[in-house]
Amino acid sequence: MFKLNLKIALRNLWRHKTSSFINITGLAIGLSACLMLMFYVSYEWNFDKQAKDSDRVYQMMTNITDNAGAITFTFNGTTTALGSVLKQAIPEIEIASRLSYGRINLIANGQNSFKKTACFAEPTLFSMYDYHFISGSPATAMANPRSVVLTETMAKTLFGTADVTGKSVRYDDKEDLTVAAVIKDLPENSSNRFDFLMPWSLYTILDPGAREVGWSDFSYLTLVKLRKGASAEAVNSKLGPLLKRYNNGDQQHFMYPLSRLHLYGTFEQGKSVGGAIEQIRLFVILAVGILLIACINFMNMATAKSERRAKEVGVKKTIGANRLSLIMQFLTESVVLAAISVVIAIALIELCFPMFNNLLSIKMDIGYFGFEIWAVIIGLVMLTGLIAGSYPAFYLSSFDPISGMKKKTRSRGFFSVSLRQVLVTGQFCFTVMLFISTIVIYKQIQFIKNRPIGADINALVELPQDGSLKDKYEVFKTMLLRSGAVTSVTHSSVTLSHHGSNFMGITWPGMTKPANDVMFNQVLAGYDYIKTTGIKMRNGRDFSEKLASDSASLLVSASAVKVMGLKNPVGTSVKVFDNQFTIIGVFDDYIWDAPNKSNNPMVIRLDDGVPGTIVMKLNADRSFQASIETINSITKQINPAYPVELKFVSSVYADMQHGEKILGILSNLFGGLAIFISCLGLFGLVTYSAEQRTKEFGIRKVLGASVFGIMRMLSISFIKMILVSICIAVPTAWMLMNKWLGKYEFHTSISWWVIGIAIAGTLLTAILTVGVQAYKTATSNPVDSLKYE
Amino acid sequence: MIRIENLEKVYKTEDIETTALNGINLHVKAGEFVSIMGPSGCGKSTLLNVMGLLDKPESGSYQFLDTELLKLNDKERSNFRKKHMGFVFQNFNLIDELTVFENIELPLIYNKVPSAERKVLVDEMIDRMNIHNRSGHFPQQLSGGQQQRVAVARALVTKPKLVLADEPTGNLDSSHGNEVMELLCELNEQGTTIVMVTHSSHDASFSNRIINLKDGCVISEKINKSRTEELI
Repeated sequence: MFKLNLKIALRNLWRHKTSSFINITGLAIGLSACLMLMFYVSYEWNFDKQAKDSDRVYQMMTNITDNAGAITFTFNGTTTALGSVLKQAIPEIEIASRLSYGRINLIANGQNSFKKTACFAEPTLFSMYDYHFISGSPATAMANPRSVVLTETMAKTLFGTADVTGKSVRYDDKEDLTVAAVIKDLPENSSNRFDFLMPWSLYTILDPGAREVGWSDFSYLTLVKLRKGASAEAVNSKLGPLLKRYNNGDQQHFMYPLSRLHLYGTFEQGKSVGGAIEQIRLFVILAVGILLIACINFMNMATAKSERRAKEVGVKKTIGANRLSLIMQFLTESVVLAAISVVIAIALIELCFPMFNNLLSIKMDIGYFGFEIWAVIIGLVMLTGLIAGSYPAFYLSSFDPISGMKKKTRSRGFFSVSLRQVLVTGQFCFTVMLFISTIVIYKQIQFIKNRPIGADINALVELPQDGSLKDKYEVFKTMLLRSGAVTSVTHSSVTLSHHGSNFMGITWPGMTKPANDVMFNQVLAGYDYIKTTGIKMRNGRDFSEKLASDSASLLVSASAVKVMGLKNPVGTSVKVFDNQFTIIGVFDDYIWDAPNKSNNPMVIRLDDGVPGTIVMKLNADRSFQASIETINSITKQINPAYPVELKFVSSVYADMQHGEKILGILSNLFGGLAIFISCLGLFGLVTYSAEQRTKEFGIRKVLGASVFGIMRMLSISFIKMILVSICIAVPTAWMLMNKWLGKYEFHTSISWWVIGIAIAGTLLTAILTVGVQAYKTATSNPVDSLKYE
Repeated sequence: MIRIENLEKVYKTEDIETTALNGINLHVKAGEFVSIMGPSGCGKSTLLNVMGLLDKPESGSYQFLDTELLKLNDKERSNFRKKHMGFVFQNFNLIDELTVFENIELPLIYNKVPSAERKVLVDEMIDRMNIHNRSGHFPQQLSGGQQQRVAVARALVTKPKLVLADEPTGNLDSSHGNEVMELLCELNEQGTTIVMVTHSSHDASFSNRIINLKDGCVISEKINKSRTEELI
């Protein structure tokens, strides 16, 4: 029986090529879109879940509180003292590991030098992640402070082979390290990624901050692993009383599962309120929605051509088929169709995947040799087949034999037509909603993009202050200015687009509390900082080389002045970490870290010796290309060991909206696909409707109906359905997108023109789709129509 | 073999009620070839559909081999139909996606006949209908006469006790029509009971008995002496 059903299914597909094409194209696009989105969802979902004990690994988090004790900010930075205190005092904690944030540093094998992600960690990290050691072992990899663990790709990049244990590499053009181990590359969906890992013991030699075990610098990460069966809640409840002994309870810490941090990493009042998971949910809805649209096409086409199948059902029932066997036959057909579509879908995915990865700036990989992937694909085929085929199967198999053979299926038609209308309406509802969402997301991205940064980033370039650029900064600056490539040069502890160090150790005159509890951001900068970056000054002036007193001076942001409540800030003396400073200028708050939210108060302190980032203003009178070449050449001359990594600050700011950009790209791409599939289905339905009414239109034309009249008759019912969809979709999308926008502190609004464009766009596409077929029908020769039947 | 008593069937629409069968009484003996005639709308096709368990009457009794069929549920009706009845239609009703062989094989599949046995039975039927050179063809590649031969082959492959034919020559020219009628006569001579609905007196002349219907009632019944004598 199955063989026979399969035969009928394949022959049916071959005979009815138009509907097969529409169904297969729709389902193939739907399945490929769904699979691609699901791969992405799975990639995001499995973030930090690769290690077998990942459920026992926790990230230590820090809460920052305000005057009233309310939590204002939560982040993953911790102090150097926290890890060892936790390990000693809390028995449930099996191990703790301090590690640095991943940072880009130089690593070289002779002249072969590369800037790659470096990380320092304690050896206990190996017990938290299941790194696969190609050579070396976890026990010995960090025994020597001057050792390094390379990933396989890093080893091959440096030496051309992974067999490099015992060889020497140079770190940051300063330290010679021995390769103690080579490990397999870390999964892309891992939070603490690195290309090379060095022992914490080396960090304590190189970095004074890491050396000092204290409670004031939050520049380090702490991971803990609980013993089997230990309760995280119980441990968290012990943290408060324990930490009170060390820092008077000023610091609030809690453990948060590392495997949840990526998806649920947004905190409000110290509690997780979501994060990337919201986007993931959206993508799941998008994936299911697109597949459903394709399934609806199949259902509609199948029921629309029910008259053709009615005879078959009638005959089969007459000669002994029962309903179940017919249901099985129709389900076989839809599963066969889904199976053919998935083959095309996989080909499409293969074709588009590199582009998809590129668009999202990720490196996903489809493991075709894994069992899971085929289980998912086969499961999806079966599910799609069942969803798409269930309604036609139950509908078609319900025909009674007599009316089936007489092709009188319209007696049951009322229900079927209404359901078809509901399905088309639902399909277009989703499409219109996607249309509106796409425009709103685009508008929000543009809104943020156009939000004044507060600095003049036009023609501003930056360069990491590595190697000799640290010691020879003045020479470098002089050469650059003399070359005419730039008009101004400065340097600072961090890039303009990034926060500096968070601190609370500041006091000012008129302070009502014994200690400040507002988190401030501090950036250390050299001379000409304001001049180069174009940060807008409200009062006062930039640092000046001519005034020796400026070494104890401070620039503060407008929000800092507000927090301090200073009426005449310029000239006021404030204390930062026990050092007295005089405010010489007030600047407008500018954007760093996230362009869609306001930042905490900020101070800029003069420190001309601090290495970080060199910022340059290109000479507007010269070609940028020539200036960049000059900068490259001078940089290479002064700092030959390092590659030149010049970046336009404007592109750094543009990259800040990565998450929104992904959302924009995906909603554009998949919204477009949804519209295409919906229109494909609409085209199929109109074609069948025209076919069914061929005779009627022939008679009407003979009796004098105009081409427009017939086009209107054929199109009107479909256009009505689209109008109903619009009526439902517009308020729903309005509500949902307003909610989405509400998440952003700075957000655009949904203007009426957005709705107008969505309505006009959908209607125009639908009218064009329907119109083409309607015109073809309306202009056909009535004599041919009347020959029909 | 068939005993029909007081059969009534009414079609209802929103506005009107039409009585299709109005107290029909009909007995058919095993091995008979009965023609049902009458003007359009007299209820002859409805009667055939009720006899084929494709339609349900409002009231009356329908006994087939001493079994009351009107009390059966849908599943039992379907089983009874596939076991004992074969159908031949005016418009052949072959499945376009299946070849001649597969069309004839279909009822055997529904009767769960093993594959090897099916092949023997279908080949036998194809030989008998003289369409062996067409067994791999699809219906649309055959002439009307050939299509009806396939339909007859399909109706007979399960060796039913009763064949119900609804205007079997209605879509055929006279020579093909005669071929089909001769085929039905031959089957009848081999013992198959046939009930045929027809408009054609020529076709009816092949049967043993002709029943005339009007307005859902049997108005006359005529024994075809020449065929009956032949039978005797």
